[in-house]
Amino acid sequence: MIPILFDGVVQGLQLALLAVGITMIYGLGGILQLAHGQVAVMAAMVAALLIAAGVNAVLASAAGILAVALFSVAMDWSLLRPAYRYRGEERLLLSLVLTLGLAFLVDGFLTFRYPEIALTLRLRTPSVVVGGITVRTASIAVSVLAAAAFTLLALFLVKTWLGRAVRSLMQNDVGAALCGINADRTRTFIVGLSGLLAGLAGIAQGLFSSVGPEMGSEFTILALIVAVVGGVRSLTGTVTAGLLLGVVNAFASYLVGTYMTLILLLGVALVTILVRPQGLLAYWA
Amino acid sequence: MTSLLQVERLVVAYDDIQVLREVSLEVREGEAVGVIGPNGAGKTTLFKAIAGLLRPRAGHIAWEGIRLDGRPAHDVARRGIVYVPAERELFPQMTVADNLTLGAYAARAGVRSRLARVYELFPRLAARRPQRSETLSGGEQQMLAIGRAVMARPKVLLLDEPSTGLAPRVVAAVYHQLTTLRRDGLTILLAEQQVPLALSFCDRIYVLENGHVVLSGPPQALLNDPALKRAYLGVEVAP
Amino acid sequence: MRQGFSRATVVTLLTTALVLAPAPWILAWVLRGGQYAFRITTLMLVNATYAVAFNLIFGHTKQLFLCVGALAGSSAYLAVVLERDLGWPALLTTGLGLLFAAGLGGLVSYVSVRRGLGVIFVGIVTLAVSLIFQNLLLGFRRYTNGETGIDTHGLGIGLGDRVVAYYVFVGLLLLALAVYALLMGSPAGMAFRALSGDELAAELAGIDVTRYKVLAAAVGSAVIGLAGALFSDYNGFINPSIYALAQVDIVVLIVLIMGGMRTLLGPVIGAVVFAAIDHVVRPFGQVTVLVYGVFLIVLFVAFREGLVPVLRRAARLPIP
Repeated sequence: MIPILFDGVVQGLQLALLAVGITMIYGLGGILQLAHGQVAVMAAMVAALLIAAGVNAVLASAAGILAVALFSVAMDWSLLRPAYRYRGEERLLLSLVLTLGLAFLVDGFLTFRYPEIALTLRLRTPSVVVGGITVRTASIAVSVLAAAAFTLLALFLVKTWLGRAVRSLMQNDVGAALCGINADRTRTFIVGLSGLLAGLAGIAQGLFSSVGPEMGSEFTILALIVAVVGGVRSLTGTVTAGLLLGVVNAFASYLVGTYMTLILLLGVALVTILVRPQGLLAYWA
Repeated sequence: MTSLLQVERLVVAYDDIQVLREVSLEVREGEAVGVIGPNGAGKTTLFKAIAGLLRPRAGHIAWEGIRLDGRPAHDVARRGIVYVPAERELFPQMTVADNLTLGAYAARAGVRSRLARVYELFPRLAARRPQRSETLSGGEQQMLAIGRAVMARPKVLLLDEPSTGLAPRVVAAVYHQLTTLRRDGLTILLAEQQVPLALSFCDRIYVLENGHVVLSGPPQALLNDPALKRAYLGVEVAP
Repeated sequence: MRQGFSRATVVTLLTTALVLAPAPWILAWVLRGGQYAFRITTLMLVNATYAVAFNLIFGHTKQLFLCVGALAGSSAYLAVVLERDLGWPALLTTGLGLLFAAGLGGLVSYVSVRRGLGVIFVGIVTLAVSLIFQNLLLGFRRYTNGETGIDTHGLGIGLGDRVVAYYVFVGLLLLALAVYALLMGSPAGMAFRALSGDELAAELAGIDVTRYKVLAAAVGSAVIGLAGALFSDYNGFINPSIYALAQVDIVVLIVLIMGGMRTLLGPVIGAVVFAAIDHVVRPFGQVTVLVYGVFLIVLFVAFREGLVPVLRRAARLPIP
């Protein structure tokens, strides 16, 4: 029981890391990023390619994360530009289709060009014994990474001027403009940050399993489920939802198997949309 | 007095509907200028155009000599024209303190002292510092909106109908604070539904009807025009 | 088109039938391969049929059903499993498949309208439905044989002969087009036009938005279900990937947008062009998906009106 719970929490942290990016982009840019999972995978692929070329694993991972952060910024400047000409639902719809196309594009490219490449990271000590329980070092590493990322993110949002600007844009973009906040530039920054977090999540997954080109859609779907359940406009909701769904995922996988678990998670997302679209756990009504 | 803001022959339209037809207006340093007129006259449209929230179809907006029309709202705000819309556009889930702090985003030097000054001006806000702005009353939200604008160290404050939806006592308080700000040297351009308020507060007024300026001058000018006087003050002139 | 089944519509359908009739043979002669020519023309017909339905669901009533594959597949799997395990006659099972798809599509539409879900959330909901469907297929391998799929030879209404199959699908497409034309020419069509402009305004004008959206979804889903079931007959086998998002939904999106939304022939023209593109790209394997992605992006950024309006202007003909 306890090991499953612990696993669930770790998985939950990863899910939250993945989903937070989608929530930020949606809340701030009014954009649905359906290629989010592919961004996570790209970071892993870049790292894998660099490691294969002899680069140190930590450096390769950092490079992968940085690469996809830049990719995301480039995407914001180019691909999403037509979407930003519109507002509200038009913008969401166009971004949905454009990022869907991008997802297919990246998937197709990666499976075509690097079908055999995948990222697998192994830590020197596979497991340690903590308080009588055997714990995988990977779990500890990911937990630490995720916790650090969330702490930094929270500090950024609360303490820095840019972070406050981000929060203000998520609540009222007109009001933010009237305070002199440049929505476009802030949004580009957030898209880059979202890519960075996705990259981190992708790399982190490499500590547990092999991350290859085919995993993009799975990441996107999971991120979307968590974001929907937590509330596409609520960061705290998303993190909470990630943790909860991670635990649900761990227990369900143990009890009913992979496919049923995914159906269960999808069902939860469906129910959320139908019953409380702003998110089951969203703080804001 | 130097002319700060010049609006020349401004035309604003939504698709085929012309809302502002060649409106010209001027605001000089230290003045309080009022724009009055019936609903739908174009007051809000005019202010939104000046603030950069709307793009004019023709005409100029010049600020300290520089053309502003067509520039985005955040650019206009950074130059010192701070707009307080009728909808206030606060950040609902942020505290009063956070809302005010954000007002200083483009003018961060001396934030703390300015914040203290705003709390001095609006003691009600000081009392509600940690409360989320969506929990404030209408009057308090209006004060918060004005306070946030003041935090931006504006050169001109654009106020769209500051008295709307407020109890008379609150309106009086708001205008009292505006007077204080004026004494500190703030230039104000405001749109008002309540004509007597505008007439008593402003140095000059413009009367906007159907997108046209039908009168511009000191408040006395309105009082001297029987037709307008009747229309806006409902006072019958003896034959 | 306002008087229901107008003369223009009849002419269009007859012309389409005449053009489609000899197509595989001409193509076989051009490409020097009968088997292949029949395959791609038949696939083209299936995609066109899906797109006609999607035109009703998304083009006219703005319901972003990212579950076309799931609707087609659920109908197909239902029919196949009933035939295989219960021995029910093909006509019955195909009919049931059709009804199931129509019911599912109608239900999704009804719930979405009642809950006031915007286009995006409908997209997410139907995406979830698609994924649930895929995972159900993989999870219940006792019935569905999972990823391997089911061999359908000997099942179905007998589309083994490629010529017979081709003409059956021509008939299906013409039927779908006729249904579309009838619907658009009826009061429903007027309601659709009002809806696609401004839903709130239509509602205020007294149009029962719920009813018409659900109607469009149900009819469209029925067509999709029928096509899906017949395709499983024709294909000789079914597996989850045949009805996956990357195989059906993205193709349908491309076909409809490229051809021209809210036009009669848009889906057909789009399907023809798409078949040509696919013919060029298929040999390169995985790049196909990449190309689909590029097309989707380019279409939505630069070419949202589609080919029919362009052809109208070029040929100066009022192509419906």
